[in-house]
Amino acid sequence: MPLLSSILLTPVITLIILLLMPQRAVRGIRLICALSGLLTCVLSLQLWTSYDPTTSGIQFEELIPWVAAIGISYHLGVDGFGVILVMLNSIVYFTGVLTMWDLEERVKEYFAFMVLLVIGVFGVFMSLDLFFFFFFYEIAVVPMYPLILIWGSGNRAYAGMKLMLFLLAGSALLFPGLLAIYHHAGLNTFDIIALSAHTFDPQFQIFVYPFIYVGFGVLAGLFPFHGWSPTGHVAAPSAVSMLHAGVLMKLGAFGILTVGIRLLPEGAAYWAPTFVVLAVIGIIYGAYVAMRQTDFKFVIGFSSVSHMGIVLLGLNLAVLGSVVAIDALNGAVFQMFAHGIMTALFFSTAGYIYDKSHSKTIGDFGGLGVQMPRAVSIFIVAGLCGAGLPGLASFWAELLVFLAALKTYPIAGVIVILGLVLTAVYIMRVFNLAFFGAPNPKWENLKAQDMSGLHLIPRAILIAVLVIFGFVPRLMLDLINSTTIAFLGNF
Amino acid sequence: MDTLTLILLTTISPLACFIIAIIFLIQQPKAAQGLVLFGSAVSLLSAIGLLVQGPIEPLRFLWFQSGAIQLQFGFILDGSSLMFGVVVTFITACIMLYSVGYMAQDPGKTRYFAMLSFFAWSMLSFVYAVDLLQSFIFWELVGLSSFFLIGFWFEKPEAAAAARKAFLMTRVGDVGLFIGILLILQLVHSFDIPSLLDPQTGLSTQISPNLLNAIALLIFIGIMGKSAQFPLHTWLPDAMEGPTPVSALLHSATMVAAGVFLMIRLHPLFMAAQDTALIVLGIATFTAILASTIAMVDTDIKKVLAYSSISQLGFMLMALAAGSLFAGVFHLITHAFFKALLFLCSGIYIHAYHTNSMAEIGRSGGRRLKAATLGLIIGGAALSGVPPLAGFWSKEEIFAQLGHNGFNIYMAGAFLAAFLTAYYTFRMIFLITKPDQTPASDHSHPEPMNMKAPVLLLTLGAIILGFFGASIAEGLGLIPQHHSVILMIPTVGVVILGILIAYLDYGRDNAPRAGFISKIAPLNTLFTNKWYIDEVYRVTIVAITHALSRILHWIENHVLDGNYDRFGLGILRTGAKSTRVQGGWMQLYLGWAIILLAVVALYLGLR
Repeated sequence: MPLLSSILLTPVITLIILLLMPQRAVRGIRLICALSGLLTCVLSLQLWTSYDPTTSGIQFEELIPWVAAIGISYHLGVDGFGVILVMLNSIVYFTGVLTMWDLEERVKEYFAFMVLLVIGVFGVFMSLDLFFFFFFYEIAVVPMYPLILIWGSGNRAYAGMKLMLFLLAGSALLFPGLLAIYHHAGLNTFDIIALSAHTFDPQFQIFVYPFIYVGFGVLAGLFPFHGWSPTGHVAAPSAVSMLHAGVLMKLGAFGILTVGIRLLPEGAAYWAPTFVVLAVIGIIYGAYVAMRQTDFKFVIGFSSVSHMGIVLLGLNLAVLGSVVAIDALNGAVFQMFAHGIMTALFFSTAGYIYDKSHSKTIGDFGGLGVQMPRAVSIFIVAGLCGAGLPGLASFWAELLVFLAALKTYPIAGVIVILGLVLTAVYIMRVFNLAFFGAPNPKWENLKAQDMSGLHLIPRAILIAVLVIFGFVPRLMLDLINSTTIAFLGNF
Repeated sequence: MDTLTLILLTTISPLACFIIAIIFLIQQPKAAQGLVLFGSAVSLLSAIGLLVQGPIEPLRFLWFQSGAIQLQFGFILDGSSLMFGVVVTFITACIMLYSVGYMAQDPGKTRYFAMLSFFAWSMLSFVYAVDLLQSFIFWELVGLSSFFLIGFWFEKPEAAAAARKAFLMTRVGDVGLFIGILLILQLVHSFDIPSLLDPQTGLSTQISPNLLNAIALLIFIGIMGKSAQFPLHTWLPDAMEGPTPVSALLHSATMVAAGVFLMIRLHPLFMAAQDTALIVLGIATFTAILASTIAMVDTDIKKVLAYSSISQLGFMLMALAAGSLFAGVFHLITHAFFKALLFLCSGIYIHAYHTNSMAEIGRSGGRRLKAATLGLIIGGAALSGVPPLAGFWSKEEIFAQLGHNGFNIYMAGAFLAAFLTAYYTFRMIFLITKPDQTPASDHSHPEPMNMKAPVLLLTLGAIILGFFGASIAEGLGLIPQHHSVILMIPTVGVVILGILIAYLDYGRDNAPRAGFISKIAPLNTLFTNKWYIDEVYRVTIVAITHALSRILHWIENHVLDGNYDRFGLGILRTGAKSTRVQGGWMQLYLGWAIILLAVVALYLGLR
C-alpha cells in the first residue's frame, strides 16, 4: 500500500474502530489510539528516511481521478516540507494521546474527535488537490469546537465560539479566493501542480493574494487576527492545545506556502513588505502581552503568537527574492516544526500541572520546583527553547529567519532580535513567580504527584526531538534545502 | 593518544557525566558525585595531554548547510585555547573536590554536580570552538549553566531573582553579539575563526573600517554582558546568591572569563578596529575604577570579591584593547587562580560561621582557620599585586603595555584602580585577621581535607604562576618584551600605598576601623549605593518595559479583543432585535400585511 495513504488511513481506520467500540472499554480505546499514534510515527519515520532529498519536487505521488467533470482528484504527494510536517503531526498525535491517558470523561467521544482532527491535518499536509486541501482543512478545524466545549475548562463556551467564528471567518475569505483561482486559471482542474504551472495575471494575483494570506493567516495567529488563539488554547484540554498550537497553527502557514506563495508568487511579492510589518508587530506585541498574563496557558498562547510571527516573517522574506530567501524559507519551515514540538511540550506540561492542581494561575504557585521537580524541569526546557536558547531546535530556525531579516530589512531585523530579550523576560517571569521562590504550602500534596512513569514518556520524546534537532540541524536542513531551492526557483 | 581522542575526552566527558547523573543518578548523590569528579579528572588529564602535544592545525567537520551558508564545528588548538583549557579543567576539578565538602549536607547534590559538569562542558566547548557560531552556542550555554547554578537554591527568592537578573542582563549583551555575528555571516558567508582573522584574506581586509568598527563594537556589547563591564555589570554582585564554590567557578575560569576569552580569540579583529578598541579601553578603565570604589566600602566578603572581579576583568580588557594579547592572557590565567582561591577561602569562613560579613567573620575567630587564612593572605596579596606573587607580574605587564603605547590617561586610571585594589583587599584581610574584639568562643572548626587540599593547590598556583610568564608568551607564539625597571617603581609604589592606608584604617591597634573615604560624605554615599546604577535601571528600562507591556495588554483586551467581542455581540443583538419582526401573534402579522399592502398601493399609485 502506498505510504502516504497508509499514514492517512491509519487514523481513519482508528476512528472506525473507535466508533464500533463500546463506551466502557476505556482502556482499549486508549490503547488503540496510542498504537495508532505509534504506527503513524513509524510510518512517518519511514517516509522521512525513504524521501530522497537530492531530487527536488513531489514524491510518493498517488493520483486517483474522482470527479472528472470539474477536475477533482484524490491526489497525494509530499515534498520536503510535507515530510517534516507529517512527522510533526505524528509526533504530536502520539504524545497527545499519551498526555490524555488519565482522561475519564467521555473517553470514546474525546478520542474520536481528536482522531478526526488528526485525519484532517494529515490530509492537508499531503493533498495536492485544492478541493481536498480545503476539505481536510475544514475537517481539521471543526472538531475543535466540541473538543473545547465538552472537555475544556474555564470560559469554554466563549472560547469555543470565538475560535470557531474566527476560523470560519478565515475560511469565508479563503473559499472565494480558492474559487477565484480555479476559475481564473480556466484549466478545469483543482490540481495544485497543474495550477502552479499556470501563470496568473499579476493584477489578479495582487487582488486575490490577501484573501488567501489572511484567510490562512487567521489560523497561523496572524496579528491582528490572533485573538482566538490564546483564548482557545486556554480553554482547550491539554492534548487539544497541543494539537491546536503544535500542528493546527502550522496548517495556516502551510496553506500560505502551498496555495498562496506557490500559486500566486507575484501577489505574494507585492504584499510581502506589508505583511512583514504585521509579522514584526506580532512578534513584539505577542511578547509584550505575554509579559502581563496571569495564566500559564495565556502566556504560552501569546508566546505562540510571537513565535508564529517568526514563521510568517520568514515566509514573507522568502518571497522577496533576495540572496537570503533560501535561509528565510528554511528558517520558516524549521520554525514550524520546532515551534510545534516546543508548544506541544509546553501545553502537555502545563496541562499536567493543571490536572494535578486545578490551577493555571501563575501567582497561585511559587516554589513549585520543590514540589514537582520533574514537571517543572520539563516546563523549563520548553521555556528555554521558547527563549531561543542554542542546543534546542528553535535556535536554528530563528537564526535563519533573523539572518534574512537583518539582510533584507535591517531595522526589522534588529527589532525582532531584540525581541529575544522580551521572550526571555516573560519566560523568566513565569519561572520566578511559579517555580522558584519559597514553596507554597498549599501545594504540599503535589509532592506525591510529580510526573512519573508513563507520564514522562511523551515529554521525554518531545525533549529528545528538540535536543536532537538542536544539535544536529542537518537532519532537517538537508531534507528541506532542495525543496526550498526548487520552491524559490519560481521567483 | 591522537588529538581527536584527547579533545573529545576533554570536552565530552563532562557532558557524559551530566547526562548520566541527571537521568539515572538523581537518587544516588554519592554515585553522581564520584562520577562527576572522575569525569573532571579525565577532562583535566586530556587537556594536559593536548597542551603537551602543542599547538596544531584546527580540526573541522561540516555541521550543516543552508543556502550559501556553510557551518562547521570543530576545535581550534592554538596556544591560548590549549593553555586556558588546562586552566579551566584544573580549576573546575579543584572546585568540584572542594564542593564535596561544602555541599555535603545539601539534598540537591546530584543536580549540583551535574550542573557543574554541564558548566565545564559548555565552557570547554566554547574555549576550543573553531567556528564563531559554535562559540556563540556554547557562550549561551555557559550563561544558561550560570543561571542554573546561581539559582541553585531556587527556593530562596533572592537566589531566583539573582539568577534571572544574570540571565537577562547577559542576554541583552548577547543580542549585540548575535547581531554582530549575523553581520559577519552576511558579509563573508563564513564563521571560521582562523580564516576570519587571517591578515591577508580575513574580515578586516574585506569590509570598510566603519563596518568593522561597528561589528567589533557589537561583539564587545556581548563581552560587556558576560564579563560584567559597565553598564552591564550589576548582575555579577547579585550572583553571589549561589553556593560559594559556584561563585569561585563563575569568577575565575568560566562565565566571566568567557567574555575576555572571546576578546582574546578575536584579538586581531579588535586591533584592526581601532576606534572600537579605544572605546573598549575607556569602558574597561572606567569599570576597573568604578568597581574598586564599591569594593572599598562593601561589608560582604563575597560582594567585595565580586566587585574585585569586575575590576580585574577591566584590567584584562584594558590590556587587550591596548594591544597586548600576552598581558591579557597572562592576567586572565593568574586571576583565575587567585580569584578561585579567594572565593574558596571565603567559602570556608562562610561554611564555618554562616555569615558573609567580614567584620563578623573576624569577630568569630576567622583567623583560626589556618588554611583559609593562609589562602586569603596569599590570594589577597596576589590580587593586590604584591611582588613576587602571580598578580604582580601580570599587572605589571599591563601597565607596561599601556605605557608603551602611550595611553597615559588610561595608565593613570589603571594605577588608581591598582591602588584601590590593594586598599580594599587588605581592608578585607585586616577585617578578618585583626578583629576589633577577641573571638567570643574558643572552639575551632575543622577544615575538611577535601576543602583544604584545593585551597592549598591554588595557593601554590598564586605563588608560582607569575614566573611562568615567559612560557605563556611562548605558548602564544610571542616573544615577551623586556621593559624598563622604572615602571616597576610606581607599580609597587601604589600597592604599598594602598596596603599602608588599609593598615592605618583597619590594621593597626586601635585603628578607626572606618575607611578614609567615609570622611568624604558624598563619595561615600555614592559608593555605598553602588553609584545608583540599579536604581537608574529601575526607573528607566524596567519601568519602560512594564509600561509598554501594560499598554499593549490594554490594547489587546480593550481595543482588539474588545472590538471583536463588540462586533460579535452587535450581530447577536441585531439578530435578537430583528426576530421581533416575527412576533408570533396574529395581529402583528396582520399589521405587517397591512403596512406592506399600503406601501405597495402607495408605490403603484404614485407611479
